[in-house]
Amino acid sequence: MKFALTLAAAGLVLSSAAYAAGEKIAVVTPYLSAVATKEMVDTFKTEATAKGWTVDVVDTAGDMGAFASRLEDVTSKKPAGIVLVSVNPEQVQAQVDKAAAAGIPVAAMDGAKNKSVVVNVTSDNYVLDKTMSEFLFKAMGGKGNIVRFYHSAHPGVRQREIALDDAMKANPAIKEVGKYFVQVPGQVDNSRTAMDSMLLANAGDGAINGVWAAWDEPGIGAKLAIDAAGRKGIVIAGIDGNPQAIELIKGCTNYIGTVGQGFGDMAKITADQLAKVIAGGKADKDELYAPVKLITRESLGVTCK
Amino acid sequence: MLKASDPVKTRIDLRRYGVAFALVLLCLGFSALAPDAFASRANLVNLLQQITTLAIVATGATLIMVIGEFDLSFGYTASLAAVLTYVMFGHGYPVGLAIVSGLTAGCLAGLANGVLVARFQAPSFVATLAIGTILSGFAYWLSGGASLFSGAPESFKALARGDIFGFPILALWMVGVLAIAHILMAHTRLGRRLHAIGSNPQAARLVGLPILRDRITAFVIGGFLAALAGILLAARLGSVQHTMGEGFLLPAYAAAFLGATTSRTGTPTIGGAFLGVIIAGVVVNGLTIVGVEPFAQKMVTGGIIIAAVLMRQTPRKGWA
Repeated sequence: MKFALTLAAAGLVLSSAAYAAGEKIAVVTPYLSAVATKEMVDTFKTEATAKGWTVDVVDTAGDMGAFASRLEDVTSKKPAGIVLVSVNPEQVQAQVDKAAAAGIPVAAMDGAKNKSVVVNVTSDNYVLDKTMSEFLFKAMGGKGNIVRFYHSAHPGVRQREIALDDAMKANPAIKEVGKYFVQVPGQVDNSRTAMDSMLLANAGDGAINGVWAAWDEPGIGAKLAIDAAGRKGIVIAGIDGNPQAIELIKGCTNYIGTVGQGFGDMAKITADQLAKVIAGGKADKDELYAPVKLITRESLGVTCK
Repeated sequence: MLKASDPVKTRIDLRRYGVAFALVLLCLGFSALAPDAFASRANLVNLLQQITTLAIVATGATLIMVIGEFDLSFGYTASLAAVLTYVMFGHGYPVGLAIVSGLTAGCLAGLANGVLVARFQAPSFVATLAIGTILSGFAYWLSGGASLFSGAPESFKALARGDIFGFPILALWMVGVLAIAHILMAHTRLGRRLHAIGSNPQAARLVGLPILRDRITAFVIGGFLAALAGILLAARLGSVQHTMGEGFLLPAYAAAFLGATTSRTGTPTIGGAFLGVIIAGVVVNGLTIVGVEPFAQKMVTGGIIIAAVLMRQTPRKGWA
């Protein structure tokens, strides 16, 4: 019993330490384990701190039922604002409506426009992938076989998939020989395992020429599998500008490109827009785009032998 | 005659009531830290709604634990039922037919589990995990991997939204399921047979109980409850994903195990599992409200479960 009491007390001490005074913003996401989401959340915290806010972060590890519940929890705290990260508000519409009805401004980062959300700050996901797919197909010489790593449950990723479909229609010499719905969290290992299988199913040089990764982590997982199998002639491109992916590009590996989303910019824009709303104003628009940038060996100034 | 001076008889059995005592402590602690948010009527309503689907799944888990088995397919069953229901809406089928289809899918999943375990003697861990994997494939196929959030009629969403005289409609489902499950287990022949099968299967066989039929029945009920939970979760969220129920599994069994610590004999009970669900719900709800970081939430939640189990294991006179 003493042990139980000690644990309960420890929990309460932790709670009180985190429950500092001051204006509060709640950040809620189901995908904190993704590098890009973490970068957005961390940058937002830095921006918020500079504005004198304190930030509570809630992560539900991919569980949308828990996401709805935790959103209700933070709503009952009546924070000055709520930021939803990497999720389409429509997936938890009732809970978002409830927060808005309580007078709490709800902003979305890397999400989607919504009637109960004051602003969604994102990248134009279709443009992101159009940029990436055109680069990848050009690197493949306009022909060959690709495998696709995707996750349609994420609204932004879904747009990228649509852009890929359109790009493939425009490049009929590019064929898709495999596709895999990536599990989150655990995406790198999950993708590596899937790529292992796809390599076995498409044995021999030239059977696969390119990997299309809807975001960088699956691409990194695929690269691990390709390296372990010793397969040559497969190039990989992803999206997000993940630091590890950039290091791989710099290192002249077969990871040849990524499209930086400017997650830091998204977080800064969100913080600025939320500040306007909290001060009684309005967001500039209901959806704002952060700038994007294709990152390649050339753009990084790397010369490979 | 009980004497006040008798230290053994006057002491509350903390091994049995420790979980309830810890729950009271947690509620008091969270109320002190966040009186306006945690200890509010609105949060009580939130909490009731948040624990409903888990309570329904934990009830099914308890029924199957009573017969000495486990069903690891619950989360996948819930996902499939929810996705199937939404897909039916997408094809224009009426609410009733869509729901019946989802529930039927749950019953069939339970039937498959039950037949594998009871008829073919497959270990329940393996059999139910395999069935669950198949179900997840169906859910993925039906949804195309995408989130589905259009086409559901308002009458469907109303199953899990709103209130009746201030009591959330969603929680009424939980009350109904708990009441029926309690009556089933405590006051019917089937319930008594399930307990007998779980406590001594050899004896149950020798006295001629219909073990095969009853074990399959337990799995079918479990599948039905998992499907019901998935459908209610879909109505609550207004959207479905093919992985949406996977978060049920561990909390449901954690609640069932916590609940087992509250019974005199250590066997799973419906009421005990519900207590476990409340603890799980209060811990996450309270820690979120007071702003504890996600990593600390997991540590505290796990710690409380360990504490409850250790409490049950602790000898009355302490460890040697």
